[in-house]
Amino acid sequence: MTRDSAAPTVLVAEDHNHDKFILQEVFKRAGIKADLRFVDDGEQMLDYLYRRGTFAAAGAAPVPALVLLDLNMPRLDGRKVVRILRADDGLRQLPVIALSTSESPKHITEAYSIGINAYLVKPASIPDYVAKISSLWQFWMSTASLPSLEGRP
Amino acid sequence: MSIDIGAGKTRAVALDLTSCDREPIHVPGAIQPHGVLFALGEPDLRIVGVSANLPALIGPQPDAVLDRPLGAVFDEASIGRLRTLLHQVDGPAASPVAMQRRDGGELGLDAVLHRHDGLVLLEFEPRGPDSEGAHAFFRRTSGAIRRLQAARTLGDACAAAAREVRAITGFDRVKIYRFASDFSGEVVAESRHEDIESFLGLHFPPSDIPAQARALYALNPIRLIPDIDYRPSPIVPDRHPATGRPLDLSFAVLRSVSPIHLEYMRNMGIRGTMSVSILRGDRLWGLIACHNRAPRHIGHDARQACEMVAQVLAWQIGVMEEEAVTRHSLEGKAIQRRLLGDIEQLRDHRAGLIRNSEALLELMGASGLCLYGRDAVTTIGRTPPDAAIERLVDWASRTDGSELFQTDRLSTLLPEAAAYADVASGVLAVPLSRTPPRRIMLWFRPEVAQTVRWGGNPEKSVEIGPDGDRLQPRKSFAAWTEESRGRAVPWQPHEIVAAVELRDLVIDVILRKAEELESVNTQLARSNEELESFAYVASHDLKEPLRHIEAFAGLLGESIRQSGDDRLSAMVGGIESSSRRLRNLINDLAEFSRLGRQAQPLAPADLGDIADEVMADLRQRIDEAAATVTCERLPVVRCDRNQMRQVLQNLLSNALKYRHPARPCRIRISALESGERTYRDGADETFARICVADNGIGFDPKYADQVFEPFQRLHGPDEYEGSGIGLAICRKIVQRHGGKVGVETAPDQGATFWFSLPLPAADETPGPGFGTQ
Repeated sequence: MTRDSAAPTVLVAEDHNHDKFILQEVFKRAGIKADLRFVDDGEQMLDYLYRRGTFAAAGAAPVPALVLLDLNMPRLDGRKVVRILRADDGLRQLPVIALSTSESPKHITEAYSIGINAYLVKPASIPDYVAKISSLWQFWMSTASLPSLEGRP
Repeated sequence: MSIDIGAGKTRAVALDLTSCDREPIHVPGAIQPHGVLFALGEPDLRIVGVSANLPALIGPQPDAVLDRPLGAVFDEASIGRLRTLLHQVDGPAASPVAMQRRDGGELGLDAVLHRHDGLVLLEFEPRGPDSEGAHAFFRRTSGAIRRLQAARTLGDACAAAAREVRAITGFDRVKIYRFASDFSGEVVAESRHEDIESFLGLHFPPSDIPAQARALYALNPIRLIPDIDYRPSPIVPDRHPATGRPLDLSFAVLRSVSPIHLEYMRNMGIRGTMSVSILRGDRLWGLIACHNRAPRHIGHDARQACEMVAQVLAWQIGVMEEEAVTRHSLEGKAIQRRLLGDIEQLRDHRAGLIRNSEALLELMGASGLCLYGRDAVTTIGRTPPDAAIERLVDWASRTDGSELFQTDRLSTLLPEAAAYADVASGVLAVPLSRTPPRRIMLWFRPEVAQTVRWGGNPEKSVEIGPDGDRLQPRKSFAAWTEESRGRAVPWQPHEIVAAVELRDLVIDVILRKAEELESVNTQLARSNEELESFAYVASHDLKEPLRHIEAFAGLLGESIRQSGDDRLSAMVGGIESSSRRLRNLINDLAEFSRLGRQAQPLAPADLGDIADEVMADLRQRIDEAAATVTCERLPVVRCDRNQMRQVLQNLLSNALKYRHPARPCRIRISALESGERTYRDGADETFARICVADNGIGFDPKYADQVFEPFQRLHGPDEYEGSGIGLAICRKIVQRHGGKVGVETAPDQGATFWFSLPLPAADETPGPGFGTQ
C-alpha cells in the first residue's frame, strides 16, 4: 500500500479480497494517485474513522477525502454505517460513494434515502470499471468543492 | 281377460271396448238365474222388486207377491231371524240366514242379505256342496292362512294363495292377476289343472277390465258366475220405489254380467268363473281369478274362505312391499359403501361406477346408466347412442334444468326417442349440478314389451264365438303389447330415493376431488414460487464470482495483449467471451424467474401504443438491419403492459436477428380475432391473435414447440448471440394472460410468431377493440 502524502486518502470498505484487488488495479490503470485504505466491514470502518483499536496509533488512519462503501458487508452492514456517519456532526459531510452489484431501482433509491452521495454499480468489464472510476475521481477531486475535514478528532 | 260390461241389452255398443268405461254395469236390470233376488222396503219389508225366476226356485208368481210384505212368501220365524240380522248389520251381507217358505217347505237355498241404496236386497242361492259348518270353515281357512304366511317372497305368497283358493273351490285354474299403475294387468301366479292352458306371465291391457268394473271390484270383493251359459232373469220391476231409477246391484251376488265378458270366457273354453278382489286399503291391487271348464257354483262359506285368503294375501303383500323397500334401501346403502370404497381405491368416480355397474343397474331396476358431463360421457349397460344422449340432455335441461326428471314413456314427450324405445323408454335424470357446466346422471329402462316373456303356449287354438277372435286372452296380450310400446316400468319412489342418494355420493366425491385438486394446485403454486425464488437467489449469487472472473480475465487480457502474445491473448479472450455469455445466461434466468414475481394485474391497454414504444426502443437496431417494420392496427387487450412490451420486444428482436442475409428484412405486426374462447368469471372471453411475421431465415417447423422451451437454441452461439430464453419468456407471459403462443415457419421462408391475448369485456374497453370505430 502506497503512503504518498500528496495523494488523497480513499477509505474503501470492502469485504471481498478479489474486489479489493480489482479496485486497486482499476485505480492504477486509471492513473489515479490515491492512498487506498481498506477495511473489511462496517465495524472496522467506524474504528478507522474514530481512530479506535488498531487505528488508534498516530498516522494509522489519515482522514479520507472519499469513502467507497460496499453496502453488503458482514457484521455491521454498509447501510447502518451510513446512518451512523450521517448522525455524527463531525462525519456528516464525508462524501460516501456506494459500491454495489445490484442494479435494482429499489436498492438504489433505498441507498440514496439513507444519505449516500453517489451510487456506483460495479462493472464486470475492466475498461468500464476504469472509465467509471476515472470520471468519479474527476468529479469528486476536481469538479466538486468539498468541505474541509481536517482538524476533527 | 275378464270383461264385465253389463247385461245383454248393450251388445252392439259393448264390442267397442274403449267405450266400456261408460257402461253402467252396476244396474244390469237382471240377475243370474241360479238364485232369486228380492228387493225389500224398510221398515215393513215390503217386496218392491223380485227376479222373474221366483216361481222356478221358490214359488209364487212375482205379480202375486209384489208390493206385499215378505210374509206373503216366508214364515214368521224366518222373517223374525231376518229382522234380527238386519238389526245387527248395516251394509254388506252377513252370514246366510235360514229361510223357510210360509207353507213350511224346505228351500235348500242359502239366503244372504245386504242393505244398499235404501233397500234391503235379499238373495237366495244354492247351498254349496261345501257348506260344512263353522268349525270346518275355521279349520280350513286357518290352515290356508298359516301356509300363506309362511311364504317368504311376493311370488311365493301369490302362488300359495292361488293353491289355497283352488283347494277350497276346486276350480281348474286359479290366477293371481296384478294391476300395474296404468291398470294393465299381469298374471303373476297360477295354480291349474294340468290339462288347462297356462296364462302365467301374460299381460293384458287396461281395457280388459274397464274402470267401472274395477270400481265395482273395489266395492264388492266377490263376483261369481257359476255358469256362463245362463239366461238372465230380469227384476220386476227394475225400478227403485223412491227414485224410480233401476236397482243398484253393486253388492249383489247374483248380479248379471256383460255378454262380452261371457263371450270372452266362452272363447277360452270356460263355463264357471269367480273373481275375488285383492285390496290394499281402498286400492285394488289385483284379483284372484278362477276358471272352470264346467259350470261351478261356489257356496257362501267357500266364498268367504276365499275372501279371507285374499285378505291375508293383501296383508302379506303389504308387509312384503314394505320389506322390499327396506331391503332395497339396505342394498342401496351396501352398494354405496362398496362404490365409495372402489372410488377411493381407483381414485376415479367413473371407474368406481363401472366396477359396480351390475349391482347399480340391478338396484335401480335399470338397464343403462349414463354419467353425462361436458368433458366426458360415461355409459354403462344399454344406453341410447351418444348423439341421442346429447340431444336428450339438451332437451331435459330445457324442460327442467336443475330438478330431477322422470318419465316412463319418453317418446310421448320427445318423439325422436321412439327410435331407441327398446333401450330408453323410461328415463330418470338426476342433475349433479344446478349450474353449467352441466353434469347429469341418466338411468334408462327399456320398453315393457321388451322385458315381458310370452307366457304359456301362444299357439293353442280355441273355439271362436260369434264376436270373432278378438275376445281371447292371446289377442288381449297382443293388444297390450301394442299398447305398451314406448312404455317402461314406472320409477318407484324408493328407486328415486336410491338414485338421489347415489347422486349425493357422486357429488361428494366430485367435490372432494375438487378440494384435493385445489390443495394440489396450492402446493404446486407454492413450490413453483419457491423454485422461482431459488432460481433468482441462485442467479444472484452466481453473478458475484462470475463478475470477478470477468474482471480478472479483463485485467489479465489487458496485460497479455500489451505483451503481444497472441496465443495467450486468444485464451484470455476465450475466458472473457465465455464469462460474458454466462453472465447473459444468468441474467436471462434471473429475468425468467422474476416474471411471476413482478407481474402486474391485467388491465386493458392499447397494444398499438406498446408496439410503437418497442419500435422506438429498437430504432437503432432496425436501422442497422435496414429493416422495414410495418405495424397494422392492433386491438386493446387485457394485459400486463410491461410484460407485453417485453413480448413484442423479444419477437421483434428475433425477427431482426434472424433476418435473411440475401434479402431486405421486412417485418409485419398484425392482429386478427383468434376464435379462441374460454369461460371466465361467468362470461365467455374472446381472444385476439397478434402476429409478428418476418421474411427471415425461418426454421424447420418440427422445432416449432421446442423453440419456446427455456435455453433451447437452434443455432450455435457463434452464429447468433442469445441465451435462448427470449421465446420462453414470451410463452410464460402469454400463458399468464391465458393465451397461447405458436409459430408458423419453414426453412428459408421466414417465420410468423403469434400469440393470443384476451380482449377486454365490453364494459371495460377504454378504447376501440376489433370492429369498432
